[in-house]
Amino acid sequence: MARRRSRSGRTSKTEQEFVSEAEEIIERMRGGLADLEDQRAANDEVDPEVVNRLFRSAHSLKALAGLFGLDPIRHLAHQLEEILDALRLGRVSLESPAISLIAEAVRVFATLLEAVGDAEAIEVAAAPVAGLSEQIEAAVRAARSGPEVVEALDVDPEVLRTLTEYEEHRLQESLRHGRHIVLVDATFEIDSFEAGLTALSAAVRSQGELISTLPAPDDGSDSRIRFSLLSASSLAADALAGRIDVPGASVRSAMRRAAPRAPAAATPVEGADGLPSLQSISETVRVDIRKLDELMNLVGELVIQRGALGDLITTLQSHHATAWIANDFTRVHKELNRKLKDLQTAVIDVRMVPLHQIFEKVSRVVRGLRRELGKDVRLEVRGADTELDKLLVEELVDPLMHVVRNALDHAIEAPAERVARGKPPQGRIGIDAFQRGNHVVIAVSDDGTGIDTQGLRARAEARGLVAADETLSERDVLELIFAPGISTRLGVTDTSGRGVGMDVVRTNLTALGGVVDVKSTPGSGTTISMTLPITLAIVQSLIVCVDEQRFAIPLGSVLETLLVEPREIQRSRDRELLDLRGEALPLRRLSAEFGLGTPPPEAKLFAVVVGIGDLHMGLLVDRLEGQQDTVIKPIQGPIAAIRGIAGATEIGDREPVLVLDVAALVEDPQRRREAPCP
Amino acid sequence: MRRILIVEDSPTMRALLTSALEELGTPVKITEAESGFEALRLLPRESFDLIVTDINMPDINGLELVSFVKSNAAYRSIPLVIVSTERSERDRDKGLGLGADAYLVKPFEPETLRQVAEDLLAASREG
Repeated sequence: MARRRSRSGRTSKTEQEFVSEAEEIIERMRGGLADLEDQRAANDEVDPEVVNRLFRSAHSLKALAGLFGLDPIRHLAHQLEEILDALRLGRVSLESPAISLIAEAVRVFATLLEAVGDAEAIEVAAAPVAGLSEQIEAAVRAARSGPEVVEALDVDPEVLRTLTEYEEHRLQESLRHGRHIVLVDATFEIDSFEAGLTALSAAVRSQGELISTLPAPDDGSDSRIRFSLLSASSLAADALAGRIDVPGASVRSAMRRAAPRAPAAATPVEGADGLPSLQSISETVRVDIRKLDELMNLVGELVIQRGALGDLITTLQSHHATAWIANDFTRVHKELNRKLKDLQTAVIDVRMVPLHQIFEKVSRVVRGLRRELGKDVRLEVRGADTELDKLLVEELVDPLMHVVRNALDHAIEAPAERVARGKPPQGRIGIDAFQRGNHVVIAVSDDGTGIDTQGLRARAEARGLVAADETLSERDVLELIFAPGISTRLGVTDTSGRGVGMDVVRTNLTALGGVVDVKSTPGSGTTISMTLPITLAIVQSLIVCVDEQRFAIPLGSVLETLLVEPREIQRSRDRELLDLRGEALPLRRLSAEFGLGTPPPEAKLFAVVVGIGDLHMGLLVDRLEGQQDTVIKPIQGPIAAIRGIAGATEIGDREPVLVLDVAALVEDPQRRREAPCP
Repeated sequence: MRRILIVEDSPTMRALLTSALEELGTPVKITEAESGFEALRLLPRESFDLIVTDINMPDINGLELVSFVKSNAAYRSIPLVIVSTERSERDRDKGLGLGADAYLVKPFEPETLRQVAEDLLAASREG
């Protein structure tokens, strides 16, 4: 990302806001432009979505610049919009000067942005704008004689998006005959929608023509599906609503809204080809993440109060005289519970952003580096739509970049060498993101050299991290790449000897409640998987008790709980293990971990099986107390330094409870000894 | 075993598509849907590695199916091929614009479909 000179001294706060938003837009444009260039280089079809995205970016930038009175940017953005429009209507081809003009415009935007706040600098930076604008105008004018644009339909463009040509034709005919175009909406259970939909379709047909049925996922639920029936009728929406007697159905007009929303929007952006309209661009609000944090804290407070209410109800129930009130309270409590859950989900949802923002950055770094390093690499990104808490996304950039850079720099071999090893000359780096329960996994894989475990072990021995006679499993050895201070050259052929600090990656991820895993096959590649919680906000926790001290274990990492007889616990050297369906599950006693009293040796214990990524472990506790919503708050003072404690939470009775940091606990105890916490 | 969903209202085309895809290099399990509605019902019940859909169907059209699949977080990653009889640039652009991964114009050689299907399945395999 381009770093600007410090401008805090000479720009106002609003200008800074403008610059940061404009910077994001220009980043997106760079991404789109790179995609276009790739497509042209590969002689591919131009992806209309890429052009549409660029078009929307140009439009946003124009609106934004207009708002801040930055005329050179606004003017150039307008021209850019024109040429992109011509491009997406097929009037201009990529082979024309179009692509270099677009590239030049993006470059000029960047220099203009650097100059914001400095009138003189702006003037200098704006010098090329006039000439460039003229060139663009000429290119667009020259291309006017393209394929004919389909007659503009006076219908909501959102609807047109999925219509076939035939359906468009029906629509046109209906409009010509002066019929009203309406949408009839209804939501059904996905398992049994057909009966209801058939009835609704019949009702619609009895009043006119059913042109198309548009399905859409229901926002609130996986098990429901929403349908919009696009119909033409001699009746307007209001009149039609009275005639369609199907419960739950609603009727609205599908005509394009009459007046544009803002007079500032001089250029119509709704093409006849049914692009998402201007509305979908401007219906976004930028909010300071701290405001969302505040909102989240408030929700958290409510959750705690709700817990207290639950306790009060329990007290009421336990007394004969008040038990009848308790029933009424329970009903209210249940409803409150439900609404609070909805509120929680809604607030968390606002914080979620798709990962493609940072994946685009990574793609650009890879593009730049592969040239520099003389390596031929294909980057395959999947799951860019996976969403993660905004705060976590920001924190993820550095570790992700680090891991990808490593793969490119150290793991992928030069083309000639790859061929010599029987691999295709072009290397492959994959980034796969997907959701797993309450976590998001981001896996970076490569088909490079793999990790040289022997060399790794030798280096670890040389640094005294491992004794020469110590037996380590393959996995244990791989884990050494995360040990602090070890020069972790990932590739056997690497000669640069640059330390790459995978320990920093692990430290960063652990701080976010995540873990990082490595898998590697010598000669054929490495996969580094980073697992992160979706959000750090409110989590359901299992409350456990050890020596009368309560702890909360985030439910997202709890796999199951077991009742354990002391004789079932096996010992192997200094470790305790439990046979769990044929697998040896390592155990850890929380009492020992936190220096608490131990129960009598014959007492039964509970094992809470926790897992993050592929690491599993059983935590031994005295008692389970049930599940609670917990709001994890950071703690300060000496307790904060204890490894294994993520923070504190309050539950119903307002007694603070320590929240376990499962990620830190499940890490290999051996490495913990060697890398003690400061 | 790769699972493919074919959505096509014409029984003849359905049979043709199925027989073409049964000869893929990898073992496949093919599920046929006679309409867009049936596809909507099948999606949450079975998991698919590839969807092949017609455009012009009586209930919901193929573009709407594409839009539904690609705007739904649960199905978005399933690669999707549109096959359609009429050569329509606009339908093609719309389909691809909505996120379809490929577009084939009927009639096409079975080998072309296999090639496209194989490419898309290979790209999604490591996912």
